[in-house]
Amino acid sequence: MSIGDDENAPKAELYNRSNALKGKVGLNVQTNAEGQLDPEKVQEADALIKDMCKDCNKNIGEQLASLVRAWASMATLDQGEARTQKAQEVFTFAHDIKDIAALCGYGLAAHFAESLRDYVTEHSFADKNQRIIIQAHIDALVVIQKNNLKDDAGPVAEELKETVKLAISKYQ
Amino acid sequence: MVPTVHREHKHYDLSKFTILLVEDSVYMQTLISSMLKTFGVGDIVVCDGAEDAINLLTIMQARKQSRHINNVDIVLTDWLMPDGSGHELLQWIRGNDKEEICFLPVVVISGYTTERLTGLTRDLGANETLVKPISGKTLASRICTVIDHPRPFIRTANFFGPDRRRQDMPFEGNNRRSATPNIVDME
Repeated sequence: MSIGDDENAPKAELYNRSNALKGKVGLNVQTNAEGQLDPEKVQEADALIKDMCKDCNKNIGEQLASLVRAWASMATLDQGEARTQKAQEVFTFAHDIKDIAALCGYGLAAHFAESLRDYVTEHSFADKNQRIIIQAHIDALVVIQKNNLKDDAGPVAEELKETVKLAISKYQ
Repeated sequence: MVPTVHREHKHYDLSKFTILLVEDSVYMQTLISSMLKTFGVGDIVVCDGAEDAINLLTIMQARKQSRHINNVDIVLTDWLMPDGSGHELLQWIRGNDKEEICFLPVVVISGYTTERLTGLTRDLGANETLVKPISGKTLASRICTVIDHPRPFIRTANFFGPDRRRQDMPFEGNNRRSATPNIVDME
Protein backbone atom coordinates (compact mmCIF):
# COMPACT_ATOMS: atom_id res chain seq x y z
CA MET A 1 0.00 0.00 0.00
CA SER A 2 1.28 3.42 -0.83
CA ILE A 3 0.11 6.50 1.03
CA GLY A 4 0.79 9.70 -0.82
CA ASP A 5 -0.50 13.16 -1.53
CA ASP A 6 -0.25 12.60 -5.28
CA GLU A 7 -1.27 9.26 -6.73
CA ASN A 8 0.70 9.94 -9.91
CA ALA A 9 3.95 10.54 -8.07
CA PRO A 10 6.71 7.95 -8.49
CA LYS A 11 6.38 5.11 -6.01
CA ALA A 12 9.11 3.96 -3.68
CA GLU A 13 9.27 0.73 -1.72
CA LEU A 14 11.19 0.43 1.51
CA TYR A 15 12.42 -3.01 2.60
CA ASN A 16 13.12 -3.46 6.29
CA ARG A 17 14.80 -6.82 6.62
CA SER A 18 15.77 -8.55 9.83
CA ASN A 19 19.52 -8.34 10.43
CA ALA A 20 20.72 -11.89 9.91
CA LEU A 21 24.39 -10.88 10.10
CA LYS A 22 23.98 -9.57 13.61
CA GLY A 23 22.60 -12.91 14.68
CA LYS A 24 25.52 -14.68 13.04
CA VAL A 25 28.08 -12.73 15.05
CA GLY A 26 26.27 -13.52 18.26
CA LEU A 27 24.38 -10.28 18.97
CA ASN A 28 20.71 -9.94 19.76
CA VAL A 29 19.02 -8.99 16.49
CA GLN A 30 16.14 -7.27 18.32
CA THR A 31 18.37 -4.61 19.92
CA ASN A 32 20.55 -1.93 18.40
CA ALA A 33 23.59 -3.21 20.26
CA GLU A 34 26.93 -2.90 18.48
CA GLY A 35 30.13 -4.82 18.85
CA GLN A 36 33.52 -4.69 17.23
CA LEU A 37 36.27 -6.86 15.83
CA ASP A 38 38.89 -7.82 18.36
CA PRO A 39 41.42 -4.92 18.24
CA GLU A 40 44.25 -7.44 18.57
CA LYS A 41 43.10 -9.14 15.37
CA VAL A 42 42.96 -5.78 13.61
CA GLN A 43 46.55 -5.15 14.72
CA GLU A 44 47.53 -8.60 13.48
CA ALA A 45 46.02 -7.74 10.08
CA ASP A 46 48.11 -4.56 9.96
CA ALA A 47 51.17 -6.62 10.85
CA LEU A 48 50.37 -8.85 7.85
CA ILE A 49 50.43 -5.81 5.57
CA LYS A 50 53.75 -4.76 7.06
CA ASP A 51 55.12 -8.24 6.53
CA MET A 52 53.98 -8.42 2.90
CA CYS A 53 55.46 -4.99 2.27
CA LYS A 54 58.94 -6.31 3.04
CA ASP A 55 58.94 -7.61 -0.54
CA CYS A 56 57.21 -4.55 -1.97
CA ASN A 57 60.05 -3.38 -4.20
CA LYS A 58 60.51 -6.91 -5.55
CA ASN A 59 56.78 -7.14 -6.29
CA ILE A 60 56.80 -3.76 -7.99
CA GLY A 61 59.77 -5.00 -10.05
CA GLU A 62 57.83 -8.08 -11.22
CA GLN A 63 54.78 -6.03 -12.19
CA LEU A 64 56.98 -3.47 -13.88
CA ALA A 65 58.77 -6.14 -15.93
CA SER A 66 55.37 -7.36 -17.16
CA LEU A 67 54.32 -3.79 -17.92
CA VAL A 68 57.49 -3.17 -19.93
CA ARG A 69 56.93 -6.41 -21.89
CA ALA A 70 53.31 -5.49 -22.66
CA TRP A 71 54.37 -2.00 -23.70
CA ALA A 72 57.16 -3.31 -25.95
CA SER A 73 54.91 -5.78 -27.74
CA MET A 74 52.21 -3.16 -28.08
CA ALA A 75 54.59 -0.90 -29.96
CA THR A 76 54.95 -3.59 -32.66
CA LEU A 77 51.20 -3.86 -33.23
CA ASP A 78 49.00 -1.82 -35.52
CA GLN A 79 45.71 -0.41 -34.38
CA GLY A 80 43.33 -3.27 -33.70
CA GLU A 81 42.02 -5.71 -31.14
CA ALA A 82 45.41 -7.17 -30.18
CA ARG A 83 46.76 -3.71 -29.55
CA THR A 84 43.74 -2.73 -27.48
CA GLN A 85 44.29 -5.85 -25.39
CA LYS A 86 47.93 -4.90 -24.80
CA ALA A 87 46.84 -1.39 -23.84
CA GLN A 88 44.49 -2.94 -21.29
CA GLU A 89 47.43 -4.94 -19.90
CA VAL A 90 49.56 -1.80 -19.58
CA PHE A 91 46.67 -0.15 -17.75
CA THR A 92 46.18 -3.13 -15.41
CA PHE A 93 49.88 -3.43 -14.52
CA ALA A 94 50.10 0.32 -13.84
CA HIS A 95 46.99 0.09 -11.67
CA ASP A 96 48.41 -2.89 -9.74
CA ILE A 97 51.76 -1.15 -9.20
CA LYS A 98 49.90 1.87 -7.87
CA ASP A 99 47.93 -0.34 -5.42
CA ILE A 100 50.96 -2.24 -4.16
CA ALA A 101 53.13 0.87 -3.88
CA ALA A 102 50.45 2.90 -2.11
CA LEU A 103 49.75 0.06 0.31
CA CYS A 104 53.40 -0.16 1.32
CA GLY A 105 54.17 3.54 1.47
CA TYR A 106 56.16 3.69 -1.77
CA GLY A 107 54.72 7.10 -2.55
CA LEU A 108 56.95 7.92 -5.52
CA ALA A 109 56.19 4.69 -7.41
CA ALA A 110 52.49 5.11 -6.57
CA HIS A 111 52.59 8.64 -7.96
CA PHE A 112 54.05 7.64 -11.36
CA ALA A 113 52.00 4.45 -11.64
CA GLU A 114 48.79 6.39 -11.01
CA SER A 115 49.82 9.09 -13.47
CA LEU A 116 50.61 6.41 -16.07
CA ARG A 117 47.32 4.59 -15.44
CA ASP A 118 45.33 7.79 -15.85
CA TYR A 119 47.28 8.82 -18.95
CA VAL A 120 46.67 5.42 -20.55
CA THR A 121 42.95 5.75 -19.77
CA GLU A 122 42.68 9.10 -21.47
CA HIS A 123 44.81 8.57 -24.59
CA SER A 124 44.86 6.21 -27.54
CA PHE A 125 48.66 5.82 -28.13
CA ALA A 126 48.07 6.55 -31.78
CA ASP A 127 50.27 9.60 -31.59
CA LYS A 128 54.06 9.26 -31.35
CA ASN A 129 54.17 12.05 -28.78
CA GLN A 130 51.79 10.17 -26.51
CA ARG A 131 54.11 7.18 -26.67
CA ILE A 132 57.04 9.37 -25.62
CA ILE A 133 55.08 10.51 -22.55
CA ILE A 134 54.25 6.92 -21.63
CA GLN A 135 57.88 5.92 -22.07
CA ALA A 136 58.92 8.77 -19.75
CA HIS A 137 56.61 7.39 -17.06
CA ILE A 138 57.98 3.88 -17.50
CA ASP A 139 61.59 5.11 -17.39
CA ALA A 140 60.85 6.96 -14.16
CA LEU A 141 59.30 3.83 -12.64
CA VAL A 142 62.34 1.75 -13.66
CA VAL A 143 64.71 4.23 -11.96
CA ILE A 144 62.57 4.25 -8.83
CA GLN A 145 62.40 0.47 -8.63
CA LYS A 146 66.09 -0.11 -9.34
CA ASN A 147 67.12 2.38 -6.69
CA ASN A 148 64.42 1.28 -4.24
CA LEU A 149 63.24 4.89 -3.89
CA LYS A 150 60.36 5.19 -1.49
CA ASP A 151 59.61 8.78 -0.60
CA ASP A 152 57.39 11.02 -2.63
CA ALA A 153 59.47 14.04 -1.58
CA GLY A 154 63.16 14.92 -1.74
CA PRO A 155 65.53 16.06 -4.51
CA VAL A 156 65.52 12.79 -6.53
CA ALA A 157 61.73 12.55 -6.41
CA GLU A 158 61.36 16.17 -7.45
CA GLU A 159 63.84 15.71 -10.32
CA LEU A 160 61.98 12.68 -11.65
CA LYS A 161 58.63 14.42 -11.39
CA GLU A 162 60.05 17.45 -13.19
CA THR A 163 61.45 15.27 -16.00
CA VAL A 164 58.08 13.61 -16.66
CA LYS A 165 56.28 16.93 -16.32
CA LEU A 166 58.61 18.40 -18.95
CA ALA A 167 57.96 15.47 -21.28
CA ILE A 168 54.21 15.96 -20.88
CA SER A 169 54.34 19.70 -21.54
CA LYS A 170 56.68 19.27 -24.50
CA TYR A 171 54.92 16.41 -26.26
CA GLN A 172 51.29 16.82 -25.29
CA MET B 1 14.74 11.06 17.92
CA VAL B 2 18.15 9.51 17.56
CA PRO B 3 18.01 5.94 18.89
CA THR B 4 20.35 5.11 21.76
CA VAL B 5 23.07 2.73 20.68
CA HIS B 6 24.00 0.14 23.21
CA ARG B 7 27.66 -0.72 22.73
CA GLU B 8 28.37 -4.14 24.13
CA HIS B 9 32.06 -4.04 23.12
CA LYS B 10 31.55 -7.63 22.27
CA HIS B 11 34.16 -9.06 19.92
CA TYR B 12 32.48 -10.36 16.85
CA ASP B 13 32.82 -14.01 16.02
CA LEU B 14 33.00 -14.22 12.22
CA SER B 15 33.54 -17.98 12.11
CA LYS B 16 30.07 -18.52 10.60
CA PHE B 17 30.62 -15.91 7.92
CA THR B 18 31.24 -16.57 4.25
CA ILE B 19 32.84 -13.67 2.42
CA LEU B 20 33.18 -13.53 -1.35
CA LEU B 21 36.30 -11.63 -2.37
CA VAL B 22 36.41 -10.51 -6.01
CA GLU B 23 39.87 -9.19 -6.87
CA ASP B 24 42.04 -9.72 -9.93
CA SER B 25 45.42 -8.91 -8.42
CA VAL B 26 46.96 -12.03 -6.88
CA TYR B 27 48.91 -9.83 -4.48
CA MET B 28 45.78 -8.11 -3.18
CA GLN B 29 43.86 -11.42 -3.14
CA THR B 30 46.50 -12.94 -0.89
CA LEU B 31 46.66 -9.92 1.35
CA ILE B 32 42.93 -9.37 1.82
CA SER B 33 42.24 -13.11 2.28
CA SER B 34 44.94 -13.29 4.95
CA MET B 35 43.48 -10.26 6.70
CA LEU B 36 40.02 -11.80 6.66
CA LYS B 37 41.42 -15.06 8.03
CA THR B 38 43.05 -13.07 10.81
CA PHE B 39 39.67 -11.52 11.60
CA GLY B 40 38.39 -15.07 12.01
CA VAL B 41 36.17 -15.25 8.92
CA GLY B 42 35.09 -18.88 8.55
CA ASP B 43 34.93 -19.16 4.80
CA ILE B 44 36.58 -16.97 2.16
CA VAL B 45 35.74 -17.58 -1.48
CA VAL B 46 37.95 -15.83 -4.02
CA CYS B 47 37.10 -14.94 -7.62
CA ASP B 48 39.29 -12.93 -9.97
CA GLY B 49 36.57 -11.07 -11.82
CA ALA B 50 32.85 -10.33 -12.05
CA GLU B 51 32.27 -13.14 -14.55
CA ASP B 52 33.53 -15.79 -12.12
CA ALA B 53 31.69 -14.22 -9.23
CA ILE B 54 28.40 -14.14 -11.13
CA ASN B 55 28.78 -17.82 -12.08
CA LEU B 56 29.62 -18.75 -8.52
CA LEU B 57 26.73 -16.83 -6.96
CA THR B 58 24.35 -18.34 -9.50
CA ILE B 59 25.52 -21.87 -8.64
CA MET B 60 25.43 -21.18 -4.90
CA GLN B 61 21.91 -19.81 -5.16
CA ALA B 62 20.75 -22.80 -7.20
CA ARG B 63 22.20 -25.20 -4.63
CA LYS B 64 21.08 -23.30 -1.57
CA GLN B 65 19.19 -26.33 -0.30
CA SER B 66 22.45 -28.19 0.20
CA ARG B 67 23.75 -28.03 3.73
CA HIS B 68 27.29 -28.21 2.38
CA ILE B 69 27.00 -24.89 0.61
CA ASN B 70 27.09 -21.71 2.68
CA ASN B 71 25.38 -18.63 1.41
CA VAL B 72 27.62 -15.65 0.90
CA ASP B 73 27.17 -13.08 3.67
CA ILE B 74 29.22 -10.18 2.33
CA VAL B 75 30.74 -9.43 -1.08
CA LEU B 76 34.01 -7.50 -1.18
CA THR B 77 34.78 -6.46 -4.73
CA ASP B 78 37.50 -4.57 -6.48
CA TRP B 79 36.25 -2.01 -8.99
CA LEU B 80 38.61 -2.31 -11.94
CA MET B 81 39.12 -5.85 -13.18
CA PRO B 82 39.74 -7.08 -16.72
CA ASP B 83 37.40 -10.09 -16.45
CA GLY B 84 34.29 -8.22 -15.46
CA SER B 85 34.37 -5.09 -13.33
CA GLY B 86 32.91 -4.32 -9.93
CA HIS B 87 30.42 -2.13 -11.77
CA GLU B 88 29.09 -5.13 -13.72
CA LEU B 89 28.96 -7.30 -10.61
CA LEU B 90 27.11 -4.70 -8.56
CA GLN B 91 24.59 -4.11 -11.33
CA TRP B 92 24.02 -7.84 -11.66
CA ILE B 93 23.56 -8.33 -7.91
CA ARG B 94 21.13 -5.44 -7.43
CA GLY B 95 19.25 -6.32 -10.60
CA ASN B 96 18.84 -9.98 -9.66
CA ASP B 97 15.34 -11.26 -9.02
CA LYS B 98 16.48 -13.73 -6.31
CA GLU B 99 16.18 -12.35 -2.80
CA GLU B 100 19.32 -14.17 -1.63
CA ILE B 101 21.33 -12.26 -4.21
CA CYS B 102 19.80 -8.80 -4.66
CA PHE B 103 20.01 -7.93 -0.95
CA LEU B 104 23.63 -9.06 -0.55
CA PRO B 105 25.80 -6.51 1.26
CA VAL B 106 28.45 -5.26 -1.17
CA VAL B 107 31.61 -3.41 -0.20
CA VAL B 108 33.47 -1.89 -3.16
CA ILE B 109 37.25 -1.68 -2.82
CA SER B 110 38.74 0.84 -5.18
CA GLY B 111 42.07 2.36 -6.04
CA TYR B 112 40.29 5.45 -7.34
CA THR B 113 39.73 8.19 -4.84
CA THR B 114 37.35 10.44 -6.70
CA GLU B 115 34.05 11.58 -5.24
CA ARG B 116 32.52 10.70 -8.59
CA LEU B 117 33.31 7.02 -8.06
CA THR B 118 31.99 7.05 -4.51
CA GLY B 119 28.79 8.63 -5.82
CA LEU B 120 28.57 6.07 -8.61
CA THR B 121 29.02 3.06 -6.32
CA ARG B 122 26.39 4.47 -3.96
CA ASP B 123 23.96 5.05 -6.84
CA LEU B 124 24.52 1.51 -8.08
CA GLY B 125 23.59 0.19 -4.64
CA ALA B 126 26.90 -0.51 -2.89
CA ASN B 127 26.64 -0.63 0.89
CA GLU B 128 30.13 0.74 1.50
CA THR B 129 33.16 1.91 -0.45
CA LEU B 130 36.69 1.28 0.75
CA VAL B 131 39.40 3.34 -0.89
CA LYS B 132 42.82 1.73 -1.24
CA PRO B 133 45.32 1.52 0.32
CA ILE B 134 43.50 -0.65 2.79
CA SER B 135 44.45 -1.17 6.42
CA GLY B 136 43.27 -3.51 9.15
CA LYS B 137 41.25 -0.68 10.65
CA THR B 138 39.48 0.38 7.43
CA LEU B 139 38.64 -3.18 6.41
CA ALA B 140 37.34 -4.01 9.91
CA SER B 141 35.33 -0.80 10.00
CA ARG B 142 33.52 -1.53 6.71
CA ILE B 143 32.67 -5.08 7.82
CA CYS B 144 31.37 -3.80 11.17
CA THR B 145 29.30 -1.08 9.48
CA VAL B 146 27.64 -3.69 7.28
CA ILE B 147 26.84 -5.79 10.37
CA ASP B 148 25.83 -2.96 12.71
CA HIS B 149 24.07 -0.56 10.35
CA PRO B 150 22.22 -2.44 7.63
CA ARG B 151 20.30 0.39 5.99
CA PRO B 152 16.85 -0.47 4.70
CA PHE B 153 16.67 -1.14 0.98
CA ILE B 154 14.81 1.23 -1.30
CA ARG B 155 13.29 0.43 -4.65
CA THR B 156 12.28 3.23 -6.97
CA ALA B 157 11.88 3.36 -10.73
CA ASN B 158 15.62 3.80 -11.25
CA PHE B 159 17.31 2.64 -8.06
CA PHE B 160 17.50 -0.45 -5.91
CA GLY B 161 19.87 -0.63 -2.98
CA PRO B 162 20.55 0.51 0.56
CA ASP B 163 18.96 3.82 1.50
CA ARG B 164 21.39 6.48 0.32
CA ARG B 165 20.46 8.77 3.21
CA ARG B 166 22.70 7.69 6.05
CA GLN B 167 21.22 9.78 8.84
CA ASP B 168 17.76 10.25 10.27
CA MET B 169 17.75 14.02 10.32
CA PRO B 170 14.93 15.75 12.16
CA PHE B 171 12.92 17.91 9.76
CA GLU B 172 10.62 20.63 10.99
CA GLY B 173 9.48 22.28 7.75
CA ASN B 174 6.45 21.55 5.60
CA ASN B 175 6.25 18.04 4.26
CA ARG B 176 6.62 18.40 0.49
CA ARG B 177 7.22 14.75 -0.24
CA SER B 178 4.83 13.62 -2.92
CA ALA B 179 4.57 10.03 -1.73
CA THR B 180 5.40 8.00 1.33
CA PRO B 181 7.26 4.81 0.55
CA ASN B 182 5.55 1.50 0.66
CA ILE B 183 7.07 -0.33 3.62
CA VAL B 184 7.72 -4.01 3.23
CA ASP B 185 8.70 -5.81 6.44
CA MET B 186 10.69 -8.93 5.72
CA GLU B 187 11.86 -11.72 7.95
